[in-house]
Amino acid sequence: MQSIHREATKRSPELRFDFAHHRLSLAGESYPEDAAAFFGPPLQAMADYLDSLTEASVELELRMTYFNSSSAKALMNMFQLLERAAARGITARVRWYYDPEDDAMQEFGEDFAADFQHSAFEMIPLPTD
Amino acid sequence: MPLARDYFEFQQLTGNRGLIFSFVGFLSEGILYSLGEMLKQKMSLEDTDAKITRRVFSVFVEQVQNILRYSSERVSDEPHASVALSSGMISVGREANGFFVICGNVVREQEAAALDQRLTTIAKLNPDELKSLYREKLREPVESDAIGGNVGLIEIARRSSRPIEFDFVPVGEQQMFFCLKAYI
Repeated sequence: MQSIHREATKRSPELRFDFAHHRLSLAGESYPEDAAAFFGPPLQAMADYLDSLTEASVELELRMTYFNSSSAKALMNMFQLLERAAARGITARVRWYYDPEDDAMQEFGEDFAADFQHSAFEMIPLPTD
Repeated sequence: MPLARDYFEFQQLTGNRGLIFSFVGFLSEGILYSLGEMLKQKMSLEDTDAKITRRVFSVFVEQVQNILRYSSERVSDEPHASVALSSGMISVGREANGFFVICGNVVREQEAAALDQRLTTIAKLNPDELKSLYREKLREPVESDAIGGNVGLIEIARRSSRPIEFDFVPVGEQQMFFCLKAYI
Protein backbone atom coordinates (compact mmCIF):
# COMPACT_ATOMS: atom_id res chain seq x y z
CA MET A 1 0.00 0.00 0.00
CA GLN A 2 1.20 3.47 -0.97
CA SER A 3 2.77 5.46 1.88
CA ILE A 4 1.60 9.00 2.58
CA HIS A 5 4.03 11.77 3.40
CA ARG A 6 3.08 15.41 3.79
CA GLU A 7 5.48 18.07 4.97
CA ALA A 8 4.31 20.37 7.73
CA THR A 9 2.83 23.71 6.70
CA LYS A 10 2.16 26.75 8.88
CA ARG A 11 -1.18 25.28 9.86
CA SER A 12 -0.95 21.56 9.29
CA PRO A 13 1.27 18.90 10.86
CA GLU A 14 3.90 16.73 9.22
CA LEU A 15 2.14 13.49 8.38
CA ARG A 16 4.00 10.25 7.64
CA PHE A 17 2.01 7.08 7.14
CA ASP A 18 4.60 4.44 6.26
CA PHE A 19 2.27 1.48 5.83
CA ALA A 20 5.01 -0.90 4.63
CA HIS A 21 6.84 -0.52 7.96
CA HIS A 22 3.67 -0.14 10.05
CA ARG A 23 4.77 3.24 11.35
CA LEU A 24 2.47 6.24 11.33
CA SER A 25 3.32 9.65 12.70
CA LEU A 26 2.00 13.18 13.05
CA ALA A 27 3.95 16.15 14.35
CA GLY A 28 3.42 19.88 14.76
CA GLU A 29 0.51 22.28 14.78
CA SER A 30 -2.87 21.45 13.31
CA TYR A 31 -5.59 23.92 12.47
CA PRO A 32 -5.97 23.40 8.73
CA GLU A 33 -8.35 25.57 6.72
CA ASP A 34 -10.37 22.51 5.88
CA ALA A 35 -9.82 19.70 8.38
CA ALA A 36 -12.00 17.27 6.40
CA ALA A 37 -9.92 17.81 3.25
CA PHE A 38 -6.62 17.44 5.14
CA PHE A 39 -7.47 14.40 7.26
CA GLY A 40 -10.08 12.69 5.08
CA PRO A 41 -7.79 10.91 2.58
CA PRO A 42 -5.15 9.76 5.15
CA LEU A 43 -7.91 8.48 7.43
CA GLN A 44 -9.44 6.51 4.58
CA ALA A 45 -6.02 5.09 3.64
CA MET A 46 -5.37 4.19 7.27
CA ALA A 47 -8.73 2.39 7.50
CA ASP A 48 -8.00 0.41 4.31
CA TYR A 49 -4.48 -0.42 5.52
CA LEU A 50 -5.69 -1.67 8.92
CA ASP A 51 -8.45 -3.71 7.26
CA SER A 52 -5.83 -5.40 5.08
CA LEU A 53 -3.76 -6.57 8.07
CA THR A 54 -4.04 -10.03 9.52
CA GLU A 55 -1.04 -9.88 11.79
CA ALA A 56 1.17 -6.87 12.51
CA SER A 57 2.47 -4.51 15.12
CA VAL A 58 1.44 -0.95 14.30
CA GLU A 59 2.89 2.18 15.86
CA LEU A 60 1.33 5.64 15.81
CA GLU A 61 3.56 8.40 17.08
CA LEU A 62 2.25 11.90 17.86
CA ARG A 63 4.25 15.00 18.65
CA MET A 64 1.58 17.65 18.59
CA THR A 65 2.12 21.18 19.84
CA TYR A 66 -1.37 22.52 19.11
CA PHE A 67 -4.55 21.32 17.43
CA ASN A 68 -8.00 22.81 17.07
CA SER A 69 -11.28 21.05 17.78
CA SER A 70 -11.76 19.79 14.19
CA SER A 71 -8.28 18.22 14.30
CA ALA A 72 -9.06 16.68 17.70
CA LYS A 73 -12.00 14.98 16.04
CA ALA A 74 -9.70 13.59 13.33
CA LEU A 75 -7.22 12.32 15.95
CA MET A 76 -10.08 10.60 17.76
CA ASN A 77 -11.06 8.94 14.46
CA MET A 78 -7.49 7.60 14.06
CA PHE A 79 -7.53 6.23 17.59
CA GLN A 80 -10.90 4.58 17.00
CA LEU A 81 -9.55 2.89 13.85
CA LEU A 82 -6.54 1.59 15.80
CA GLU A 83 -8.73 0.36 18.63
CA ARG A 84 -10.98 -1.49 16.24
CA ALA A 85 -7.94 -3.19 14.64
CA ALA A 86 -6.48 -3.98 18.07
CA ALA A 87 -9.78 -5.53 19.15
CA ARG A 88 -9.40 -8.14 16.42
CA GLY A 89 -5.83 -9.02 17.28
CA ILE A 90 -3.54 -6.45 15.64
CA THR A 91 -0.92 -5.13 18.05
CA ALA A 92 -1.27 -1.35 18.22
CA ARG A 93 0.75 1.15 20.18
CA VAL A 94 0.34 4.92 20.42
CA ARG A 95 3.17 7.14 21.64
CA TRP A 96 2.04 10.58 22.74
CA TYR A 97 5.02 12.92 23.07
CA TYR A 98 4.38 16.20 24.87
CA ASP A 99 6.15 19.17 26.34
CA PRO A 100 5.78 18.74 30.12
CA GLU A 101 5.25 22.51 30.39
CA ASP A 102 2.29 22.32 28.02
CA ASP A 103 -0.62 21.44 30.29
CA ALA A 104 -3.11 21.33 27.40
CA MET A 105 -1.17 18.71 25.38
CA GLN A 106 -0.57 16.63 28.50
CA GLU A 107 -4.27 16.74 29.41
CA PHE A 108 -5.34 15.87 25.86
CA GLY A 109 -3.00 12.86 25.97
CA GLU A 110 -4.45 11.71 29.27
CA ASP A 111 -8.00 12.17 27.95
CA PHE A 112 -7.33 10.17 24.81
CA ALA A 113 -5.48 7.48 26.79
CA ALA A 114 -8.58 6.87 28.92
CA ASP A 115 -10.47 5.56 25.87
CA PHE A 116 -7.96 2.86 24.96
CA GLN A 117 -8.76 -0.71 25.88
CA HIS A 118 -7.08 -2.90 23.28
CA SER A 119 -4.05 -0.87 22.23
CA ALA A 120 -1.24 0.56 24.35
CA PHE A 121 -1.12 4.31 24.88
CA GLU A 122 2.15 5.67 26.17
CA MET A 123 2.65 9.25 27.42
CA ILE A 124 6.22 10.42 26.86
CA PRO A 125 7.36 13.81 28.17
CA LEU A 126 9.88 15.49 25.87
CA PRO A 127 13.14 16.60 27.47
CA THR A 128 13.11 20.29 28.37
CA ASP A 129 16.16 22.44 27.68
CA MET B 1 -11.54 68.58 8.61
CA PRO B 2 -12.54 66.44 11.57
CA LEU B 3 -11.20 63.32 9.86
CA ALA B 4 -8.22 62.66 12.15
CA ARG B 5 -10.16 63.71 15.26
CA ASP B 6 -13.09 61.43 14.45
CA TYR B 7 -10.90 58.45 13.83
CA PHE B 8 -8.61 59.21 16.77
CA GLU B 9 -11.74 59.07 18.97
CA PHE B 10 -12.67 55.81 17.32
CA GLN B 11 -9.19 54.44 18.01
CA GLN B 12 -9.26 55.71 21.62
CA LEU B 13 -12.59 54.02 22.19
CA THR B 14 -11.06 50.65 21.40
CA GLY B 15 -7.86 51.46 23.33
CA ASN B 16 -9.85 52.35 26.45
CA ARG B 17 -11.38 48.92 26.47
CA GLY B 18 -7.96 47.33 26.73
CA LEU B 19 -8.12 45.86 23.27
CA ILE B 20 -5.05 44.37 21.67
CA PHE B 21 -6.99 44.29 18.42
CA SER B 22 -10.51 44.27 17.14
CA PHE B 23 -11.47 43.16 13.68
CA VAL B 24 -14.88 43.99 12.25
CA GLY B 25 -15.87 42.93 8.77
CA PHE B 26 -15.47 39.97 6.50
CA LEU B 27 -13.26 37.27 7.97
CA SER B 28 -11.51 34.46 6.09
CA GLU B 29 -9.20 31.57 7.01
CA GLY B 30 -6.30 33.74 5.75
CA ILE B 31 -7.22 36.54 8.14
CA LEU B 32 -7.56 34.03 10.98
CA TYR B 33 -3.97 32.92 10.33
CA SER B 34 -2.56 36.45 10.14
CA LEU B 35 -4.38 37.78 13.19
CA GLY B 36 -3.39 34.66 15.12
CA GLU B 37 0.30 35.14 14.25
CA MET B 38 0.15 38.80 15.29
CA LEU B 39 -1.57 37.83 18.55
CA LYS B 40 1.11 35.26 19.43
CA GLN B 41 3.89 37.74 18.56
CA LYS B 42 2.32 40.51 20.63
CA MET B 43 1.84 38.26 23.65
CA SER B 44 5.37 36.93 23.35
CA LEU B 45 6.80 40.48 23.17
CA GLU B 46 4.94 41.24 26.39
CA ASP B 47 6.49 38.15 28.02
CA THR B 48 3.10 36.56 28.56
CA ASP B 49 3.26 33.10 30.14
CA ALA B 50 3.35 30.52 27.32
CA LYS B 51 0.42 28.60 28.82
CA ILE B 52 -1.77 31.73 28.80
CA THR B 53 -0.74 32.54 25.22
CA ARG B 54 -1.68 29.01 24.11
CA ARG B 55 -5.08 29.28 25.81
CA VAL B 56 -5.86 32.70 24.32
CA PHE B 57 -4.76 31.49 20.88
CA SER B 58 -6.90 28.38 21.12
CA VAL B 59 -10.02 30.33 22.13
CA PHE B 60 -9.31 32.85 19.36
CA VAL B 61 -9.08 30.09 16.70
CA GLU B 62 -12.31 28.37 17.80
CA GLN B 63 -14.19 31.69 17.95
CA VAL B 64 -13.09 32.79 14.47
CA GLN B 65 -13.82 29.37 12.97
CA ASN B 66 -17.23 29.55 14.58
CA ILE B 67 -17.89 32.85 12.80
CA LEU B 68 -16.58 31.40 9.52
CA ARG B 69 -19.00 28.48 9.79
CA TYR B 70 -22.06 29.99 11.35
CA SER B 71 -22.30 33.67 10.43
CA SER B 72 -25.46 34.13 8.42
CA GLU B 73 -23.73 36.98 6.59
CA ARG B 74 -21.61 34.90 4.30
CA VAL B 75 -20.28 35.28 0.80
CA SER B 76 -19.23 32.15 -1.08
CA ASP B 77 -20.13 30.17 -4.15
CA GLU B 78 -20.35 26.81 -2.38
CA PRO B 79 -21.29 25.82 1.20
CA HIS B 80 -17.85 24.76 2.50
CA ALA B 81 -15.55 26.66 0.17
CA SER B 82 -12.29 27.74 1.81
CA VAL B 83 -12.54 31.09 0.01
CA ALA B 84 -15.76 31.87 1.83
CA LEU B 85 -15.98 35.18 3.66
CA SER B 86 -18.13 35.50 6.75
CA SER B 87 -18.99 38.77 8.41
CA GLY B 88 -18.42 39.20 12.13
CA MET B 89 -16.19 40.71 14.76
CA ILE B 90 -13.37 39.36 16.86
CA SER B 91 -11.64 41.23 19.67
CA VAL B 92 -8.83 40.26 21.99
CA GLY B 93 -7.87 42.40 24.95
CA ARG B 94 -6.66 42.63 28.46
CA GLU B 95 -8.48 43.60 31.64
CA ALA B 96 -7.32 43.79 35.25
CA ASN B 97 -7.94 40.07 35.75
CA GLY B 98 -6.45 38.79 32.52
CA PHE B 99 -7.17 38.38 28.85
CA PHE B 100 -10.51 38.18 27.11
CA VAL B 101 -11.63 37.10 23.64
CA ILE B 102 -14.96 38.30 22.26
CA CYS B 103 -16.63 37.26 19.04
CA GLY B 104 -19.83 38.47 17.48
CA ASN B 105 -21.81 37.65 14.37
CA VAL B 106 -25.31 37.58 12.99
CA VAL B 107 -27.15 34.25 13.05
CA ARG B 108 -30.60 33.21 11.95
CA GLU B 109 -33.22 33.30 14.72
CA GLN B 110 -33.73 29.55 14.60
CA GLU B 111 -30.01 28.85 14.95
CA ALA B 112 -29.78 31.40 17.75
CA ALA B 113 -32.25 29.36 19.82
CA ALA B 114 -30.19 26.18 19.37
CA LEU B 115 -26.95 28.01 20.11
CA ASP B 116 -28.46 29.62 23.22
CA GLN B 117 -29.50 26.22 24.52
CA ARG B 118 -26.11 24.66 23.85
CA LEU B 119 -24.18 27.51 25.46
CA THR B 120 -26.49 27.65 28.48
CA THR B 121 -25.69 23.99 29.12
CA ILE B 122 -21.95 24.42 28.56
CA ALA B 123 -21.67 27.55 30.73
CA LYS B 124 -23.00 25.67 33.77
CA LEU B 125 -20.52 22.80 33.60
CA ASN B 126 -17.47 22.49 35.84
CA PRO B 127 -14.05 21.61 34.35
CA ASP B 128 -14.50 17.84 34.84
CA GLU B 129 -17.96 17.89 33.26
CA LEU B 130 -16.63 19.94 30.34
CA LYS B 131 -13.85 17.44 29.88
CA SER B 132 -16.20 14.46 29.71
CA LEU B 133 -18.65 16.26 27.42
CA TYR B 134 -15.73 17.12 25.12
CA ARG B 135 -14.67 13.47 24.97
CA GLU B 136 -18.22 12.35 24.41
CA LYS B 137 -18.64 14.76 21.48
CA LEU B 138 -15.31 13.67 19.98
CA ARG B 139 -16.39 10.05 20.04
CA GLU B 140 -19.68 10.76 18.24
CA PRO B 141 -19.31 9.50 14.65
CA VAL B 142 -20.84 12.54 12.96
CA GLU B 143 -21.71 15.84 14.54
CA SER B 144 -25.46 16.21 14.63
CA ASP B 145 -24.81 19.82 13.85
CA ALA B 146 -22.95 20.06 10.53
CA ILE B 147 -19.28 20.96 10.76
CA GLY B 148 -18.28 20.64 14.36
CA GLY B 149 -19.21 23.77 16.27
CA ASN B 150 -20.17 21.80 19.36
CA VAL B 151 -16.67 20.62 20.16
CA GLY B 152 -15.35 24.11 19.41
CA LEU B 153 -17.70 25.74 21.93
CA ILE B 154 -16.72 23.20 24.59
CA GLU B 155 -13.04 23.87 23.83
CA ILE B 156 -13.65 27.61 24.36
CA ALA B 157 -15.30 26.91 27.74
CA ARG B 158 -12.49 24.53 28.75
CA ARG B 159 -9.76 27.10 28.09
CA SER B 160 -11.67 29.86 29.94
CA SER B 161 -10.71 30.68 33.50
CA ARG B 162 -14.22 31.96 34.29
CA PRO B 163 -17.64 30.91 32.97
CA ILE B 164 -18.21 32.10 29.41
CA GLU B 165 -20.66 34.98 28.88
CA PHE B 166 -22.95 35.21 25.89
CA ASP B 167 -25.91 37.19 24.68
CA PHE B 168 -28.22 37.74 21.71
CA VAL B 169 -29.93 40.83 20.42
CA PRO B 170 -32.53 40.91 17.60
CA VAL B 171 -31.34 42.68 14.47
CA GLY B 172 -33.64 42.86 11.48
CA GLU B 173 -35.79 40.20 9.91
CA GLN B 174 -35.47 36.89 11.83
CA GLN B 175 -31.83 37.63 12.59
CA MET B 176 -29.99 37.87 15.90
CA PHE B 177 -26.61 39.33 16.73
CA PHE B 178 -24.75 36.77 18.83
CA CYS B 179 -21.89 37.72 21.14
CA LEU B 180 -19.61 35.46 23.22
CA LYS B 181 -16.93 36.48 25.71
CA ALA B 182 -14.34 34.17 27.22
CA TYR B 183 -11.85 35.10 29.95
CA ILE B 184 -8.37 33.63 30.17
